[in-house]
Amino acid sequence: MSAKPRVLIVDDEERFRTTMAKLLTVNGLEVTAVGSGKAALEELKSKAYDVITLDIRMPGMSGLEALAEIKKVNPAIEVIILTGHASVDTAVEIMKLGGYEYLLKPTTTEELMNKIDAAFERKMTREQKTRKGNGS
Amino acid sequence: MPGKGRIYRVRGGMNFKQSILPHITSILICLCAVILAFTGNLSFGVAGIFLAALAFVTTRKLLQKLAAANEQACFLDEKLVQSQKLASIGELSAGIGHEINNPLAIISQETEWMQHVVKRIGGRNSKEVAELQDSLKEVLHQVDRCREITQNLLDFARRKEPVYQEVNVNKLIDDLSRLVKKETIQYRIEIRKDFQRDLPLVHTDAPSLRQVVLNLLTNATHAIEKDGRIRIATQRSGNGSVDIIVEDTGCGIPKDHLIKIFDPFFTTKPEGKGTGLGLSICHGIVDKLGGRISVSSEVGKGSTFVVTLPINQQKGMSPS
Repeated sequence: MSAKPRVLIVDDEERFRTTMAKLLTVNGLEVTAVGSGKAALEELKSKAYDVITLDIRMPGMSGLEALAEIKKVNPAIEVIILTGHASVDTAVEIMKLGGYEYLLKPTTTEELMNKIDAAFERKMTREQKTRKGNGS
Repeated sequence: MPGKGRIYRVRGGMNFKQSILPHITSILICLCAVILAFTGNLSFGVAGIFLAALAFVTTRKLLQKLAAANEQACFLDEKLVQSQKLASIGELSAGIGHEINNPLAIISQETEWMQHVVKRIGGRNSKEVAELQDSLKEVLHQVDRCREITQNLLDFARRKEPVYQEVNVNKLIDDLSRLVKKETIQYRIEIRKDFQRDLPLVHTDAPSLRQVVLNLLTNATHAIEKDGRIRIATQRSGNGSVDIIVEDTGCGIPKDHLIKIFDPFFTTKPEGKGTGLGLSICHGIVDKLGGRISVSSEVGKGSTFVVTLPINQQKGMSPS
């Protein structure tokens, strides 16, 4: 387990994902950014991540489809939905699919950092419990 | 509706032709009766006058019923048009809100990044750097303002299903009046509460109702500016419903504004002070709760908003 969260940003808006990656990096996170759900699934094959921030409206595979696929590949990864297109129905769907949190754009880096920290902490606590369970 | 002479909508009612019709009918029968009496048949004359009176009363009653039905139909038509208008504008608003959120997110991030770069460059004592930091802070402040607007648009468009529970409306309003108390004291606005004591519990969605009442109270405070009175009243009205009345002694609303008052984006507040969505949201909420909201106003004297809610009905009131 790494001490700082490994974060994967998935957003089709290039400028958004690159600047967000820079902002999270200067805040001490290990960040990779990709432009589609498909690219995110490819990325997960080669590297382990703790938290994923995921846009909903993307060409090709939608954020919700990507979320379902990500959870199939690795249910332990915490997914934060970060979108400008949100509704209560979508929020309910996100929670049903196992999403951790839901943030509406625009958000501040501070707010996003807090959510990522909380998601990472939850993942670590769960993994510790699993290890203790396996050990006993 | 409280506030004499302040009802802006005059719907239905008998028109001139309808109001004159019973008189013509009875006059004609009376004439026939007089002619019959003069020709020597007094009993026919008396019967004719009786018939004339009966015709007058019956025709008038029938016309009144017709006018009432017409008024109800007009009201429902108006309500339907308003609901359809709000629904379509709601969809458009949601679309705009969503589309603006994405570029706003980029503006916000780029500004945060610039702040970071300026900080990294250093030179905090330089006047130019201070100016630049101040400008960047202002950009973020304006992004926040836009975010609030898009959030309002999304709230307006949101089709949130109400969660019904038994609500003590008097208590709900009393709590909210305390919330605006600070502002009303500051501007010397008296709040008068006329609650009906034995008001039944209302089966409704408390958070939504709170939003509506708070909006009406805030608007009333703004309309008065300073030195005035807000009267909040509750009463049981007919048709299994209750009325919540918010009356102010503020500036009032001109007639040409009254017809647009529930339209989205309609505002008379100065730029940056209001989005013009508050009353549209209230209208949408009250509609969803199965009730209706009406307004009457007179310029220079004040306005009265009446929210009528069904006591125990989830799908709306039956037409009165």
